[in-house]
Amino acid sequence: MSNETVGDGQAAGTRDTRRFVWLFDPRLVMTALGSIAVVVLAGLVQVSFGSYSMSVGQAWSAVVNPDVLLNQQAWNSFLLGGELPEMGRKSLIVWSIRLPRVFVAIIVGMNLAISGAIFQAITRNELASPFILGVSSGAGLMILVVLVAIPSFVLAVPFLALTGTQGGLLGGGATLVWLFGVAGAWWYGVERRQLRAIGLVGAVLLGGAFVAVPGISLPVGVGELSFAVSTLLPVIAALGGIAAFLVVYAIAWKNGTSPVRLVLAGVIVGTVFKSLQTALFFFADDLGVVQEALAWTTGSLTGTDWEQVRMALPWSVIAVVLAIAGARQCNVMLLGEQTAKSLGMSIEKVRFALSGVAVLAAAASIAVAGIVGFVGLIVPHMVRNLVGSDYKKVIVGCLFVGPALMVAADVGARLGMGVITGSDLQIPVGVVTGLVGGPYFLYLMRKKQEMGEI
Amino acid sequence: MTHKILDRLLSSGTDAAGTEESTGEAVSAEEDEQMPTSELSGDGLVLKYPPMDEPVIDGETLVAEPGAVTALVGPNGSGKSTLLKGLAKQLAPEDGSVLLDGRDVHTMDTKELARKLGLLSQESTSPNSITVENLVYHGRYPHRGFFEHVTEADHAAVNRAITLAGCEDIRDREVGSLSGGQKQLAWIAMVLAQDTDVLLLDEPTTFLDLHHQLEVMEIVETLRDESDITVVVVLHDIEQAARLADKMVALKDGSIQARGTPEEVVTERLLAEVFEIDARVEVTQRGPRIEPLQPRHDEGEPEQPPERIARADGGDS
Repeated sequence: MSNETVGDGQAAGTRDTRRFVWLFDPRLVMTALGSIAVVVLAGLVQVSFGSYSMSVGQAWSAVVNPDVLLNQQAWNSFLLGGELPEMGRKSLIVWSIRLPRVFVAIIVGMNLAISGAIFQAITRNELASPFILGVSSGAGLMILVVLVAIPSFVLAVPFLALTGTQGGLLGGGATLVWLFGVAGAWWYGVERRQLRAIGLVGAVLLGGAFVAVPGISLPVGVGELSFAVSTLLPVIAALGGIAAFLVVYAIAWKNGTSPVRLVLAGVIVGTVFKSLQTALFFFADDLGVVQEALAWTTGSLTGTDWEQVRMALPWSVIAVVLAIAGARQCNVMLLGEQTAKSLGMSIEKVRFALSGVAVLAAAASIAVAGIVGFVGLIVPHMVRNLVGSDYKKVIVGCLFVGPALMVAADVGARLGMGVITGSDLQIPVGVVTGLVGGPYFLYLMRKKQEMGEI
Repeated sequence: MTHKILDRLLSSGTDAAGTEESTGEAVSAEEDEQMPTSELSGDGLVLKYPPMDEPVIDGETLVAEPGAVTALVGPNGSGKSTLLKGLAKQLAPEDGSVLLDGRDVHTMDTKELARKLGLLSQESTSPNSITVENLVYHGRYPHRGFFEHVTEADHAAVNRAITLAGCEDIRDREVGSLSGGQKQLAWIAMVLAQDTDVLLLDEPTTFLDLHHQLEVMEIVETLRDESDITVVVVLHDIEQAARLADKMVALKDGSIQARGTPEEVVTERLLAEVFEIDARVEVTQRGPRIEPLQPRHDEGEPEQPPERIARADGGDS
């Protein structure tokens, strides 16, 4: 790049004017290709091994099986949830059990990576992760509330819940929290006009989460909507995360906000919610429930299916598109608040919008995989190291490196215990991302002087 | 040209807010379409930083002469930078208004304002690995829509800014690898690329070595002589300010002590009052020359220096 610029001088512009020319930066291309190679290799391992063992060749031929690959009905079933067509046993195992898990890992890796990258830009904080603004603690709390405190769901109006015969105490408590939540958030909104909408949405979400109260028999005339916990948990976890983020933003707001205020508010809300979450563990009387809660709060891909792909994909597509579109805003934001302002950026609007995108991505990944730590923190740093600090490249790089780390870590999560102890036990992928990512992060830190600088 | 003279007459003749405001409006109404220069004025500005009760600037009025360089000088903590921030809409005034060509900047869209008014802050941070060229391209931010791509106009503006700021040789270097002076030139190129009618510079020469100080001054001189940009610059070095500026404004403790041409403002009396130093001022062809002698200490002493000033005054005239 430097050569051509020097040669051309300052005459008619030295830049290639084509819009996406930056995509062909060799460093970015190499990063993408390397990551794809990792994803393919790890994916191949994932589809080959397991309780039904097949050779790599068999697995590969099942993956590229044209009967499935080119079958419209099959894709219809995968992506839209239709009827699954007839296929061979190997193809069935690969395509309906093992591959979707790889796809979910790819989606989750992308989401967490771009979410972390965005949060690092808007907080200008090297330690920012997708969960810095309370998303994980809100989601974690809701997961615990649902799994431990609420055995079955009835969607009800909270005021009516008070008259219920069962679960009176919890119902009453939830109603009080909801009322205070509405009042508090509304008060915030009235005080700070710009935040009125945020306050209200926060109140509704916070309230909505508590609207569901345990098995109450309702007065006659009110329809009951019952859901199985498992179908609603992902959505509730994601909504809990989003609600916590809104609460954090409302707390941090005082005539506008600042990175430091946001991070502090995130830490405060996170601490409170974490405490509540830990407290709830004591009320769990079933080891199975505790394990399920742990799997959710450390992040696990066990048992993920095409359904998870269907659930996360639309939101992820939206988040990815918006993240790429917002990359230039991130770049300007990195020049500091004052410069961004003097360049005409409406900094509060942009910051909130970008946070929204990042939270959306994080929530989508929480809904399908729980709270997978570390990926969102470390991947943006790895990418910056590989492609430089231009956020357009960082975001695109994250779309490749995130999945690579996630898919590779999931190999360890799914098969690691089998290799070590010979058991079929799967461990949460969040454990492996920490175990793999931590040392790698350390290695980068030792090797690179300016590691961590944004 | 007639307007320039008119403005000069008016702004030097009066401090009254009303007159200045109406002048600004008259000029903008008349010349909105082909107006070559922009007038920026702060009117009865009261500025403070939110947690504090005491305003830093308490009801000051300042008019930046269109197409000219206005320098704000004053000792540390005199409120120069605060005043500049107020003019740049970085700080919302408690009272008073900032008018750009007669329009209140707080009613303007942020991007619209940024196309007309640029600010170079005292301290700027950027990622280390960004190239100078990419940094300068960020100056085009207010000219681009959300999904808009860089246009020919952007390339042209960036090239012009880089040439004007003398950054051609460091164009492809990473900002993190530059010296403080080179960094400052890169940042100046960025605000120049913004292509505004009004440019506010907050201590652009502070912390730079002499060479780069002169480079920066040369850029501002070029702007003064060859363009219609209205420049307001905060400077620490009063001699530099005198050399650079068409108009000078001296502040102390948040209030304007003197305004006018460098010759009018840079006097031994003013240096004693505002900067609390004894100094000898010599009028040369390149503006006033200042030879600082000693700091003035407290109220007990002031008998002595006025004599000296009187003597020096006598000698000069």
